[in-house]
Amino acid sequence: MSKTSEEVVQFTKQPYIEDVGPRRIKSITFSTFSEADIFKAAEVQVYKDKYYDEKRKPVEGGLLDPRMGPTSKNGFCATCDGSFRDCPGHYGCLTLSVPVYNVGYLGTIVDILKCICKSCASILLPEKEYADYLKKMRKDIDPLKKNELFKRIVKKCTAMASSKKAVKCLKCGYINGTVKRAGLGVEHDRSKVTDSSLEESRSAISHLKDSTGSKSPSIINPDRVLSLFKKIQDKVCDLLYLSDRPEKFLITSIAVPPVPIRPSVFVDGGQMSNENDISERLKLIIQTNATLHQNLTTASYAPKALELWPLLQVEVARYINSDVRGVPLSMQESKPLSGFVQRLKGKQGRFRGNLSGKRVEYTGRTVISPDPNLKITEVAIPILMAQILTYPERVSSHNIEKLRQCVRNGCYKYPGANFIRMADGTLMVLKFPSRVRLADELKFGQIVERHLEDGDIILFNRQPSLHRMSIMCHRARIMPWRTLRFNESVCNPYNADFDGDEMNMHVPQTEEARTEALMLMGVQNNLCTPKNGEILVASTQDFLTSSFLITRKDTFYDRASFSLMCCYMGDAMDHIDLPTPAVIKPIELWTGKQLFSVLLRPHANMRVYLTLTVKEKSYTSGETMCQSDGFVYFRNSELVSGQLGKATLGNGNKDGMYSILLRDYKAHAASVCMNRLAKLSARWIGNHGFSIGIDDVQPGDLLNKDKEGKITDGNVQCDELINKYNNGKIELLAGCDAAQTLETLIAKVLNDIRGEAAKLCMKSLHWRNSPLIMSQCGSKGSPINISQMVACVGQQSVSGGRAPNGFLDRSLPHFHKNSKIPAAKGFVGNSFYSGLTATEFFFHTMGGREGLVDTAVKTADTGYISRRLMKALEDLAVHYDKTVRNASGCIVQFTYGDDGMDPSQMEEKGGLPLNFDRLLLKVKAACPPEEHIGMPSSEIVKVVDETLTKHVMASEGDCSKAFNKSLSEFLKACAERSNNTRVALKLEKELRSEDFDNLENVAKNISGITHQQLQVFMETCISRYHQKVVEGGTAIGAIGAHSIGEPGTQMTLKTFHFAGVASMNVTQGVPRIKEIINAAKNISTPIITAKLEFSDSLVSARLVKGRIEKTVLGQVAKSIKIVMASRSASVTVTLDMDVIQASELCINAHTVKESILSTPKIKLKEQNIHVLDARKLEVIPTSDRSKLHFELHRLKDRLPTVVVRGINSIKRAVIKECDGKKGTYELAVEGTGLDAVMGTEGVDGPKTTSNHIMEVQKTLGIEAARKCIILEIQKTMKDMSIDVRHMMLLADLMTYKGEVLGITRHGIQKMKDSVLMLASFEKTSDHLFNASVNGRVDKIEGVSECIIMGIPMQIGTGMLKVMQRVPPVELQRGADPVIS
Amino acid sequence: MVETLFQDIFRVVGLDPDGKKFDKVTRIEAKSEQFDMYMQLDVNTDIYPLHEGDKFMMVLASTLNLDGTPDTGYFTPGGRKSLADKFEYVMNGKLYRISEEGSGANLKADIYVSFGGLLMMLKGDPSIAAKFELDQRLFILMRKV
Repeated sequence: MSKTSEEVVQFTKQPYIEDVGPRRIKSITFSTFSEADIFKAAEVQVYKDKYYDEKRKPVEGGLLDPRMGPTSKNGFCATCDGSFRDCPGHYGCLTLSVPVYNVGYLGTIVDILKCICKSCASILLPEKEYADYLKKMRKDIDPLKKNELFKRIVKKCTAMASSKKAVKCLKCGYINGTVKRAGLGVEHDRSKVTDSSLEESRSAISHLKDSTGSKSPSIINPDRVLSLFKKIQDKVCDLLYLSDRPEKFLITSIAVPPVPIRPSVFVDGGQMSNENDISERLKLIIQTNATLHQNLTTASYAPKALELWPLLQVEVARYINSDVRGVPLSMQESKPLSGFVQRLKGKQGRFRGNLSGKRVEYTGRTVISPDPNLKITEVAIPILMAQILTYPERVSSHNIEKLRQCVRNGCYKYPGANFIRMADGTLMVLKFPSRVRLADELKFGQIVERHLEDGDIILFNRQPSLHRMSIMCHRARIMPWRTLRFNESVCNPYNADFDGDEMNMHVPQTEEARTEALMLMGVQNNLCTPKNGEILVASTQDFLTSSFLITRKDTFYDRASFSLMCCYMGDAMDHIDLPTPAVIKPIELWTGKQLFSVLLRPHANMRVYLTLTVKEKSYTSGETMCQSDGFVYFRNSELVSGQLGKATLGNGNKDGMYSILLRDYKAHAASVCMNRLAKLSARWIGNHGFSIGIDDVQPGDLLNKDKEGKITDGNVQCDELINKYNNGKIELLAGCDAAQTLETLIAKVLNDIRGEAAKLCMKSLHWRNSPLIMSQCGSKGSPINISQMVACVGQQSVSGGRAPNGFLDRSLPHFHKNSKIPAAKGFVGNSFYSGLTATEFFFHTMGGREGLVDTAVKTADTGYISRRLMKALEDLAVHYDKTVRNASGCIVQFTYGDDGMDPSQMEEKGGLPLNFDRLLLKVKAACPPEEHIGMPSSEIVKVVDETLTKHVMASEGDCSKAFNKSLSEFLKACAERSNNTRVALKLEKELRSEDFDNLENVAKNISGITHQQLQVFMETCISRYHQKVVEGGTAIGAIGAHSIGEPGTQMTLKTFHFAGVASMNVTQGVPRIKEIINAAKNISTPIITAKLEFSDSLVSARLVKGRIEKTVLGQVAKSIKIVMASRSASVTVTLDMDVIQASELCINAHTVKESILSTPKIKLKEQNIHVLDARKLEVIPTSDRSKLHFELHRLKDRLPTVVVRGINSIKRAVIKECDGKKGTYELAVEGTGLDAVMGTEGVDGPKTTSNHIMEVQKTLGIEAARKCIILEIQKTMKDMSIDVRHMMLLADLMTYKGEVLGITRHGIQKMKDSVLMLASFEKTSDHLFNASVNGRVDKIEGVSECIIMGIPMQIGTGMLKVMQRVPPVELQRGADPVIS
Repeated sequence: MVETLFQDIFRVVGLDPDGKKFDKVTRIEAKSEQFDMYMQLDVNTDIYPLHEGDKFMMVLASTLNLDGTPDTGYFTPGGRKSLADKFEYVMNGKLYRISEEGSGANLKADIYVSFGGLLMMLKGDPSIAAKFELDQRLFILMRKV
């Protein structure tokens, strides 16, 4: 409080204020507010609908009464005398003349009314049930279960009512009708009630005209409800899961909120005021209430006086929720003023807009641009920004001179400072010349808000922040100009480019925050993505191009240029040992590959020995001797062979150079190499020059001719196919009709043309062609892109097929009707260079538009999926006992991902911890055998077993069984190999050290392992395994949500594909992910994969197919006839045995009889059907003569649709070959009914699966459903390479409650029990209202709740607390001084 | 005279077995006369042209110093006398792999050397491979005969 003394209330004694100290909010309880509470809280009664008087002073008793808080910036509160800044505001109250419902509770009110007698307010349950339910309700503690029980009770009470349409109260005998919500009121429908009193009144009015007219349902008015609620016993409240008295659900008086939360703003220079929506709403309520009150006091006729009651109800309802349902049409308003619910809900609402995400200080945002001269951990910050963003640095002996200079410079000169915070907390502004004095007087302990300087910690972020690498910690480099700059290698994690992107930066303000940011979010510590452990920060674009060109086999440099390039990579500041030139005579020449050896290991004292092999894109065969030099082999940091490209240097590869550097020599080594390469390549390519021009896309004559040939060939093939189709001679593909077959075949031919053209281009273009180089090294573009520029654009696809017919029977009027030739269906034969014809151009735009629409739609879809995943998984973390638990401590997984490994550190492609092959190669290269000899294979096996058993006992614990097994198996294979070599060299199996001859040496060099090498290898494996265990506290849920949500954005929206040969469409891409994650009850393409008992026989497969597929009687009957004989009439069915035998169906008259009898609603009995012989049966209906004729015809119509064979819910079944195994078959069954398919004879039930998760759950149980979820997500995202552990976690979360819960609002509601979390997710107001009805308690454990309350959450670094026993301070008392 | 690891006379039997890929570098195939060795070698034909049928003497040595002191692996220029003086084309590189091929009587050992990315594959009797060690620094010295 910094106010002048006369304004402060003067106390004679200081009033006692309890020092509460810092306290943590432990929990929040939700409850309802009663009228008495409102009166207690209110400072003023509000009854005037005016805001200001003529002198523009707030009116007393008005909505802006100063007693409710200061109205303007320089006003004071009339209650507490606080200023605009200090006074939090005070409540007022507004008493309504009649009670109205609170719309938020209307649903609950109706539910309560359903359960109680509308006359005596007692519960409508028999005494015993009442006691039972009450016991159950009181015993349970889980709010979810209690809610369910409440719903059951309501159902029980209404079920009694609806069966007889009325229920008699057991206490008073009153007969209750049905209760339902009607608009903003409650309707009590007793029209169906048969009551003696009703009968009486009916008879009394029977002489009237409208006597038969049904009694209209009567509306129960809020006043009546209020009085009923007041009568409800407390016990009944308990039963109905009400934590408080139900009369609080009705509003009798309104708490007028303080002025500060509904500010009034003067506009037009103080002439007019703009009032907040809430004030406006209150004004309307006051007006209506006043009129109503006047009517009630003056009008004599009561119903007339109460005419305004519904209006008041509507106004109060809108005050709470402005778009409430059930407002009569006449009362609907054009311009909605927002109510309280509107303030809370939605993206911009209080929960998501202000509580879960807050605006912050110390931030900046500008356009970004690249700078390869920066380190990957740096970000260049413009001086202009650095002068505004500050860091509070405490003055100490180490920095006093620096800070003094900063203070002296002040705000406007760069290494300056903006404020000084004195020891007493006062803030000194450094804008004025007085700063010189302040600088001189600078003392230790003062805090200087200095400008940013080089090396400060910055958080850097680009939206959309889809994964944790979207916000990383860099170090600042203050630079001139106006953009934020960073090394291009870091583009990938941010998904940034420089076409005008903007990025945000934040400056952490405390040392703790800086340390934590640097350790957890530093670029160096986030080179890998936890999605699958691939490296994400890696060289891109130009860096790849120049590396590719430098490492070409025929690039040679003389001494001058080689030395110059060596200097490029380290600003000529590093010590470099020049290697011996590759060519010494006739002249000294170094190769480009040697430059990379220098880059990795510039001088002899550098202990980086990189060993790896990578197959680049251009790799053909022959390992290092590959003709196009595509096999990259680094051995002890020397580049032995291979032209470097994306596979070695780029992101998304686990065996690349940087990945290996990161794993073997830690992040620093990797980042240093990235820096060197960035500098080298930026400078080199600047001198070398790399550009693209028109001559790069001009096809040669040869290419043109070849391309023309290919296109004509394709056209001829298509014509042949079309001819065949027109003559009906086309051979059908399995499960397709003629038109589909034609389309499939033509599509294949046309797509091949583009592929062929691409191949031609790659072959015929000169090696200096820039697009070719870019595509070969992987920096940008694919062969198809080149082919589109140079040779042929290719077939355009619209929604997965060729261009559809927009006109009658044709795509464009340029073509003949029903034309199916390539050109008429969107084939573009020209290249972008040669130019497209009008029709080609049109088709191209069709394809282009689809792409645009797709991206627009899918961003919204995947964004929502990510949000839901994040909300569901946010609080899952690994605990120190290796379990994965949610915030309330429920176990979701006993061991994370079944092995407790950290997915971001997995070295092997498939997600295994280590790549043994590579590691062994490295160990062999790094530890040369020298004079040691290779071990015999038997000894290898022995040593392996010994080491493994030794490590079981070791203190850090055992490795997983699977890991031990894979390690020993790998080493056994190595032993085997070395044995084979020895056999080939005709050496003794077991070597003897004395006769150590020449060949022994050869064997050792080929595949031998020495004892030392084996030791080192095993130690490395085991110690690395232990380093890769996931750390306690890791927010693995959030990581999982990111890892599944982020790749979702890269998926195309609608990709349908063909499952095998059969034309069975399977939903893929984003829609499928949505289905899986939602745990949808109805999925668009349910498919059961049925394995067969005799999978190698096509005949038996057909047989089983026949059994599964639905066959109706009409399909197998030769005839179904009505036979009228003299004595009887019947319908005879004759089976077509030829058809039945041809399709191997095993149907005869007897089975048909059974089928008919089991058909529902056919109304036939055993005696009605007579089997005449194996292929004939007659049906004799039993009905009287008058109806016989109709009955016969009904049967004749009905019988053909009787299912005689197969499963009703199956659409069709297709036989297909098993993946990878020729000659074995399985069935793909379209439709549901897994249990029926599994039970079908010939199907191997235990191996049969479905892609329908809910069905799998129903049929096979929850564990099977979990497995199914994992498999289905894997199948859908198989080209995204996501670690299984993430999918396991998601599947476990979806199933850990014992039923499959979707990641939707319904599912999440059952997973979490925090009100705040649910309110911040979806349906904000519903959750809050229900929480207050039930008196829910939120313990603030989860992530969302902690963010809302501003409390550190119990995850990650917040999981543990340092508890320290502070030894009691003992005062060292010496002897009393002699002289005091 | 320093002891060499391998010495033989080769005859070029073919150029670029997989087609011409690089402007300045040619992969030559050569057969030796004395030890019946087969060799593939990338040669900078820009500065040292070789043609089919050419015969040349090839020597592999671990050092160029005439007194036999081992090579450091780092560049130490200087106009000293060396083994290279007698040869026309000299390269420096590292042996990175020895492997076996075939079996029984046809068993061959392959020796792979990389001269800064210019590769050599020397195929021959396993006994020849016995003198070589992995990661050995090697000089190839060539002289047309």
